[in-house]
Amino acid sequence: MSFFLETLIGGLMSGMLYSLVALGFVLIYKASGVFNFAQGAMVLFAALSMARFSEWIPLWLGMDNLFMANLLAIAVSAVVMFAVAWLIERLVLRHLVNQEGATLLMATLGIGYFLDGIGQTIFGSDIYKIDVGMPKEPVMMLESVFDGGILINKEDFVAAFIAAMLVLALTIFFQKTATGRALRAVADDHQAAQSIGIPLGRIWVIVWCVAGITALVAGIIWGSKLGAQFSLATVALRAFPVVILGGLTSVPGAILGGLIIGVGEKLSEVYLGPYVGGGIEIWFAYMLALVFLLFRPQGLFGEKIIDRV
Amino acid sequence: MSDWTYPERITFHDAIATMEVDFSGLTFADEAAVDAFYDHVGTRLTETGRRWFFLVIYTDCVVAPEVWRRFAERGKDTNIAHSLGSVRVDATAQTREAIRESAGKESFRSNIYNTRDQALLALGEMRKRQRETHSTAEETFLRVENVSLRFGGVKAITGVSFEIKRGEISSIIGPNGAGKSSMLNVINGVYHPQEGTITFLGNVRRQMRPHDAALQGIARTFQNIALFKGMSVLDNIMTGRNLKMKANILQQAVWLGPAQREELEHRLKVEEIIDFLEIQHIRKTPVGRLPYGLQKRVDLARALAMEPQLLLLDEPMAGMNVEEKQDMCRFILDLNDQFGTTVLLIEHDMGVVMDLSDFVVVLDHGEKIAEGTADEVRADPVVISAYLGASH
Amino acid sequence: MFYRENGQFKTTYQSDQQIFAIPQDRWAILAIIAFAFIGIPLLVDEYLFRAILIPFLILSLAALGVNILVGYCGQITLGAGASMAVGAYAAYNFLIRINGMPALAAILLGGLVAAVAGIVFGAPSLRVRGLYLAVATLAAQFFWDWAFLRIKWFTNNASSGSVSIADINLLGWTISSPTDKYLFCLGILVVFSLAAKNLVRGSIGRQWMAIRDMDVAATVIGIRPMYAKLSAFAVSSFYIGVAGALWGFVHLGSWEPAAFSIDRSFQLLFMVIIGGMGAIAGSFFGAAFIVILPIFLNQMLALVGGWFGVEVSIALVSHVEIMVFGALIVFFLIVEPHGIARLWSTGREKLRLWPFPH
Repeated sequence: MSFFLETLIGGLMSGMLYSLVALGFVLIYKASGVFNFAQGAMVLFAALSMARFSEWIPLWLGMDNLFMANLLAIAVSAVVMFAVAWLIERLVLRHLVNQEGATLLMATLGIGYFLDGIGQTIFGSDIYKIDVGMPKEPVMMLESVFDGGILINKEDFVAAFIAAMLVLALTIFFQKTATGRALRAVADDHQAAQSIGIPLGRIWVIVWCVAGITALVAGIIWGSKLGAQFSLATVALRAFPVVILGGLTSVPGAILGGLIIGVGEKLSEVYLGPYVGGGIEIWFAYMLALVFLLFRPQGLFGEKIIDRV
Repeated sequence: MSDWTYPERITFHDAIATMEVDFSGLTFADEAAVDAFYDHVGTRLTETGRRWFFLVIYTDCVVAPEVWRRFAERGKDTNIAHSLGSVRVDATAQTREAIRESAGKESFRSNIYNTRDQALLALGEMRKRQRETHSTAEETFLRVENVSLRFGGVKAITGVSFEIKRGEISSIIGPNGAGKSSMLNVINGVYHPQEGTITFLGNVRRQMRPHDAALQGIARTFQNIALFKGMSVLDNIMTGRNLKMKANILQQAVWLGPAQREELEHRLKVEEIIDFLEIQHIRKTPVGRLPYGLQKRVDLARALAMEPQLLLLDEPMAGMNVEEKQDMCRFILDLNDQFGTTVLLIEHDMGVVMDLSDFVVVLDHGEKIAEGTADEVRADPVVISAYLGASH
Repeated sequence: MFYRENGQFKTTYQSDQQIFAIPQDRWAILAIIAFAFIGIPLLVDEYLFRAILIPFLILSLAALGVNILVGYCGQITLGAGASMAVGAYAAYNFLIRINGMPALAAILLGGLVAAVAGIVFGAPSLRVRGLYLAVATLAAQFFWDWAFLRIKWFTNNASSGSVSIADINLLGWTISSPTDKYLFCLGILVVFSLAAKNLVRGSIGRQWMAIRDMDVAATVIGIRPMYAKLSAFAVSSFYIGVAGALWGFVHLGSWEPAAFSIDRSFQLLFMVIIGGMGAIAGSFFGAAFIVILPIFLNQMLALVGGWFGVEVSIALVSHVEIMVFGALIVFFLIVEPHGIARLWSTGREKLRLWPFPH
């Protein structure tokens, strides 16, 4: 039982991180109808930027304060992500308005390649450490309930907490601010939003900036767990079933979907994996999403599509 | 208004299935009078438990302008519940005026006869047609029975029934949102009604897939042209022959032999249709580049290529200029003549509907409010008020 | 000028239905094919065969398959690499498990198995479309990646998942030199391209395009979406599967599951989009573009580095390469979203009318 609980909680924790990446997908898809395959590359780019700047800044400034270095690195990385968002809108999206979905998808794949390439050209391609002082030691919990208690990584807790904070902040941003309302208007109907004077270009920049920030947060958390390295780019592929499960247009869907996939992956790997040779978690997530799709094509919280003739 | 009693004014002629209502000399000055009268009519009709032709005598009857709306509303209800068809005799100038006014400038001519004999003659015609449609149950071409369609909580169609005869051109008319397009979609299997049945050429069904409808010989065109925009005109029309092409995938991959023979055979048929619709000059053009009017024509060509028994046209003239409309009318009449195709169309242009149609069904808010020949429908006060009431 | 068509009249519908209805086109394409069969083997050296021509031919075949599905039937796929893998591993198993199995038969059977797998993973297309469908195809990709790595039976219990094949033999012709391999692949590609063209200009091709352009209207005309979509998945996967088998048997000789990873799927999709969706010729243009571009970039970067006297490390070259590759793809999508084939056909239309503008 305690082993099951450990697996479950582990799943929830990694699910939280999937949600974070999935959130980036959903934000951009809602506002611009673009499915951003470059989200993974953005996570990698942000993580590399974070890792390297936190290393470089103390050298440049000759200071020895880890906290200040990290803070500055985060600020610089955020600016870098904003620049990336602005350039993507300026140089790519603006010129691809009204293109077909497949073309846009390919364009984001191209952006992804570009970011992968330029990120590693500028920042290097080794595995870099991100140390933002996340607690590494595991803790025992619920010892009074179970014999032996359950072993949990403190780091996961902090990560989950940060992710939850980010989601909360985004929710407030979307629900309570004027920009948030404009974003939701654009998501509902591009043309209508444009006709009441909402500048589409600016909205897209903002959305990509927000996606950039979620990428940065995801990059920092994943990077401090696994190191900032190329494999981070593949988290996009792991978050893909999450958004499908949750519905492409739903923020709560992304979160719940992430948790379901995270738990499903872990449980399947632990309880099913040994029988079929292991390594099943990635396709298992996809199969889960697929089976779900067959019964509910629009995802958990997606909007139902009705054909009119 | 107290110098007459209702019983005297309502006579049932059982032999000719007609209820005669005599309004002679009556004045309907307020809504109470209208209600009192129609309440009585309603009671009498309900007692009989069957449907009647209505023969309404309007001689020297006056309906005050301000109660016209009420009058028409009650008339509509009565018609829906009990009518097989109506004729009217000798309406006063005011009544005619009211009808004309409510019907708008062009749509309706009043279906009002000067003498009772003329009206009875018209009734005879009506009865004959009714008998034809009902007596040939096994030969029913298309019968829609008690069809209801809902989308979630929204009622699109409620209990609509009508019948279309082979070889005729029929129309469904009604204000926006009356459920016309939904009706077409039910007939060719795109929407599945919750209640009711469709009988086509002896096959009764409630739900079917569009593919089955196509197999049975139902073709249609679309309101917002639904052509295959990545393909040429020729290829678009050739898709209409798809059901009749039998070469398998391997034969098609090889091409030489059965596939080519078949392709040529159907190409000839398609060229006939291209000639018929006078679109030879654009056959190789991608449809996306064509002007709207020509796209509509290609849409029709694609449907015709199926050699359908029943052709459903969803607003074939919408958005066309006068010349294009005339062309389209001619094509519809010609194809009906030449190929004997039965046509059921939806159209907003009343002039077109009245000129083309042998039979008209009027829908409003998803319910059938009238049916009959163009003249009958045009004169039906219920129809008029429906159009008037809908002209927000 | 180049196309002087006056005096050419078509008197039968048959002559109007030819693949290349204009005689000049017909002669040009025959000349190109003849040159490919006779001229190129005389002129080209081994490196070009191995590095460019053979990959180009095989990937063209795969791109043709992807184009049938994505370009003609409008169903997106991110699992083309998996179909190649299924084709390759199925062909491998047919070859080693059945005694005396001819290599060509094994390759075609591999394609058939890929077709069946394609139908299974294409089935969700009946319920979902667009991005949601992409998930289904990605599921196929990851599933097969995993299966060929972990299920040892597929790889004849090879521990690393790597399998290898001796030179293949076709009716006494041992295909071992690069020229032989080139000619073998070219022959298959020509036959398959012709068949693909025949399919897309015939009734099944019109069904695919109808489903792509307006699926509701297509069903109303009597096209069954299930048949149209699944046949597109089957034919497409067959082509890709055969290409996969060729990739393994002819190009690589020995291979691991990684040869058919998701990057391969993306690459194939790029080929189709850059080459031109819904155009047979587009598959060739796209394959040429994607095969040649990295080699070209690689050479260029070394050259540019040389000018500035900078020693360019291999890692840096590969990073700059994917960066430029990504940028070029985006650039290309912006400049000509309909692909090279569209540029080609507008150019041709202009030539037909030249020197008049309209």
